Amino acid sequence: MLDGVKSLAKGMGTTLKALAEPRDTYPYPEKRREYSPRFRGKHMLAKDEEGHELCVGCGLCEAVCPAHAIRVVAAEAPGDEPVSWTSRYAVDYEVDLIRCIFCGMCEEACPTNAVRLTPFNELAAYSREDMIADKEELLRPAIRK
Amino acid sequence: MVKLTIDDQEIAVPSGTLVVDAAAKMGIEVPVYCYHQALGPLGACRMCLVQIEKMPKLQTACTTPVAEGMVVHTGGPAVEKARNGVLEFLLINHPLDCPVCDKGGECFLQDYAFRYGPSAGRFEEPKIQKLKDAPINEFVLIDQERCVLCQRCVRFMEEYVGEPQLMLEGRGVETVVTTVDHQPATSQFTGNIIDLCPVGALLSKPYLHKARPWNIERQESVCTMCPVGCTTLATGRDGRIVRIEGRPIPERSWGWLCDRGRFGYDYAIDPTRVTGSFLEGQPEAAARTTRRVGQWFTEVIAEHGPNSVAFVMGGMHTMEEARQLQRFATRAVGTSRLAISRDVPGYLPRALNGTFQDIESSDAIVLVGVDPYEAIPVVHLRLRERQKALPGMRLYGVAPRSLTRDTLPVNSLLTHVGEEAALLAAALRLAAGDHPAVRALGEAAVASHIDQEQLTGLSAALLESEQLTLLWDGQEPEVESVLVALATVRGDKPTRVLPTWGPSNWRGFELAGFPARIEALTEVLEDAKAGKIQMLVLWGCDLLREYPDQQLVRDAYAKVPFLVAEGLFPPSEAERFHAIVPQAGPGEVMGTYVNMEARLQIANPSVQPPGQARPTKTYVTAWAHALNQTFRDEEDWDPYDESGDLLPMQPLEQAIKPLTAALAVKEGQFELVTGVLVIENGIPSAILKPRKPEYPGRISVPDAEALGIADYGVVRISKNDHEIEVPVSVDPAMTPGRVYVPLGMASMPVNAVGTGWVEVIRLEEVHSA
Repeated sequence: MLDGVKSLAKGMGTTLKALAEPRDTYPYPEKRREYSPRFRGKHMLAKDEEGHELCVGCGLCEAVCPAHAIRVVAAEAPGDEPVSWTSRYAVDYEVDLIRCIFCGMCEEACPTNAVRLTPFNELAAYSREDMIADKEELLRPAIRK
Repeated sequence: MVKLTIDDQEIAVPSGTLVVDAAAKMGIEVPVYCYHQALGPLGACRMCLVQIEKMPKLQTACTTPVAEGMVVHTGGPAVEKARNGVLEFLLINHPLDCPVCDKGGECFLQDYAFRYGPSAGRFEEPKIQKLKDAPINEFVLIDQERCVLCQRCVRFMEEYVGEPQLMLEGRGVETVVTTVDHQPATSQFTGNIIDLCPVGALLSKPYLHKARPWNIERQESVCTMCPVGCTTLATGRDGRIVRIEGRPIPERSWGWLCDRGRFGYDYAIDPTRVTGSFLEGQPEAAARTTRRVGQWFTEVIAEHGPNSVAFVMGGMHTMEEARQLQRFATRAVGTSRLAISRDVPGYLPRALNGTFQDIESSDAIVLVGVDPYEAIPVVHLRLRERQKALPGMRLYGVAPRSLTRDTLPVNSLLTHVGEEAALLAAALRLAAGDHPAVRALGEAAVASHIDQEQLTGLSAALLESEQLTLLWDGQEPEVESVLVALATVRGDKPTRVLPTWGPSNWRGFELAGFPARIEALTEVLEDAKAGKIQMLVLWGCDLLREYPDQQLVRDAYAKVPFLVAEGLFPPSEAERFHAIVPQAGPGEVMGTYVNMEARLQIANPSVQPPGQARPTKTYVTAWAHALNQTFRDEEDWDPYDESGDLLPMQPLEQAIKPLTAALAVKEGQFELVTGVLVIENGIPSAILKPRKPEYPGRISVPDAEALGIADYGVVRISKNDHEIEVPVSVDPAMTPGRVYVPLGMASMPVNAVGTGWVEVIRLEEVHSA
């Protein structure tokens, strides 16, 4: 019996000691952790200072992607209105965020530095379709609150 | 044979071989931009520098012929330094736009720069700006910045095709490839320069930015636009064919294509294509349509017997599909009424059928009726190549119109329509009149005024040449007898004929068991007209447009209670048909096509058939089921059984029939001349639309003046109460008194009028405001 009381006190001691220590967990989502700027989260497509898309639809990200998560369809810019900085642009750019393994190879392969992985990592949706990020979505990168 | 050593390996090659080709034979690749075997040496790009012992400096492998005891090193420090320097120079003004370049990934500049080039350039000044994506014509774009000035395109157009429409302009670094006078290139072979360009300077406009080499799949395919059956590579992407490239076959074909075959692939996504089933003119579910047609088969066979069903094969089907339909028709239905849709009445026995290799070794070639440039463009290039290799080659044309062109001078003998056979027979009589085979042809007179010297020349070409090849368009059926007689007279000296008519796979349909002679089709139509046929099944063909006598087809259709059509496009007067089912076309099914050489060529599918389109087997299996039979595809039928890829030769057993007299000349009337114009072969294409002639008919200068037509106009051609309206252009090459209309155009069905003598009057063109 004495042994029982002893071990109880020891256990409580550990607990009480830990109460005073700084916490390892965060009260998510009220408080969020800071990530390194190099964190590989959700993708974004960048634009240049004049608002032209940097992506030219070369498809190198699609080729290099080990998870086959990217689909690019390129086309010639319609009329005189350039979409990207050159006459070629991506009509469709889709990233399947369920397939994506966030390896960052697309970012590395991109010759125009258009596709970048942001620190945004709050990826959740109710359907699989919602997890496919299309071009519209990627051009407006999500910002954490 | 010359013995030499390349990279420590000995090889013996024929004298005159270039070092680069000798190396290629051993599997040693010497990098090269400007050299192409079909074009010959130039030595412009300096990429192929190799070291040859006892020669003080590096030599270009593409201009140096081999010599006895030569020792060549294709590697080593000197060669590598030279290549590195050449590439550094080439890249000085080359833009860094590989990510947006369609060639990126299959580009020789990329490959060689990666393998032999410097890792960085030392040139820091700004690059020279030139034209980007400028059109050469409707199909080809040029990016002058990317050009390495290898001149392959310029030389191909100038020397090989003979239509010098591209040129180098400017000096030094300002040199650019451009069109002559900055006018669009009009040749029908311009697409080939896209294949020839080793870098991304010449681009296909319809394919621009469509795909990248690593996310497409190229399938080995065969062009079905004309009976030449060029070998192609079809690029499929996202369920559509987006590009056709030439596929060279070693020792046999350079892989050239005409623009018709290269850019005409978009018929598969044409809005007029049938992708669903139609029952009594209304769209209907595929299963219901198939079931109803199956019911008709059952009812018709039960009521009128199996022979009241007839099948006509045509279109761009594979030989296997033809075999499946033939088996269904003969085994499941049990009919003997089979035919192939034909637009010309001629037939060529297999025994006389030649190959393109025969052209390459012939010392005399006779074109009978056919204009190769218009009907079978790639053969035109082969003829030119032969004429260049053998300048004294005898090349004669026997046709109702002049066949000579700037690019291919032909001794043209003008006949009246339907008189080719008589003229050839007259030429035979001249030198071998006593031969029984020639006497069997009779003594049909020739009404055309032929220069005696020309006729003697033709006679000599036919009989004295060591090897003779004829190209025949099949419009004049009696030529068959003359050809048989000619082969008999010539005996052991090879006489070969290339049949240039469609459907492009008719030889395959014949092998599958359909009778190829037009008499079979005429009999089917006559029987239908007589009410003996209750159900007519047209497989891929449009008889109203194709069969030479449109009125007979119309009469036959009117008497058939059940008209069923399968095809890529709705047949003419589609409302007459009781059922239309969609076809899975070339590029969508796997199968064999037999070209005009009687050569079997396999085509692999690149994409899925659109909509409800299904291959033939789907339909015949369902209908066999409706007839309470099981359709078995497995049978002991293998077209590759006999020998290689050419159909087995057969002995020449055809009888020689005496020729009939030609139609009498009618004063004051026009002669209607027809021929195949492959760009207007009835298969729609949005890409080719700007190239299709707006005024496809042709009329001579004096006739145009008499009719009051300046350059273009519309005429009405009539004969025996049938008439067609034809937009014509004035052609200086046309003979007065003749009017030319291409075969098989739906808007001006020349088969409604028929050949021979016709009335021509001018119509006022109505210009809507």
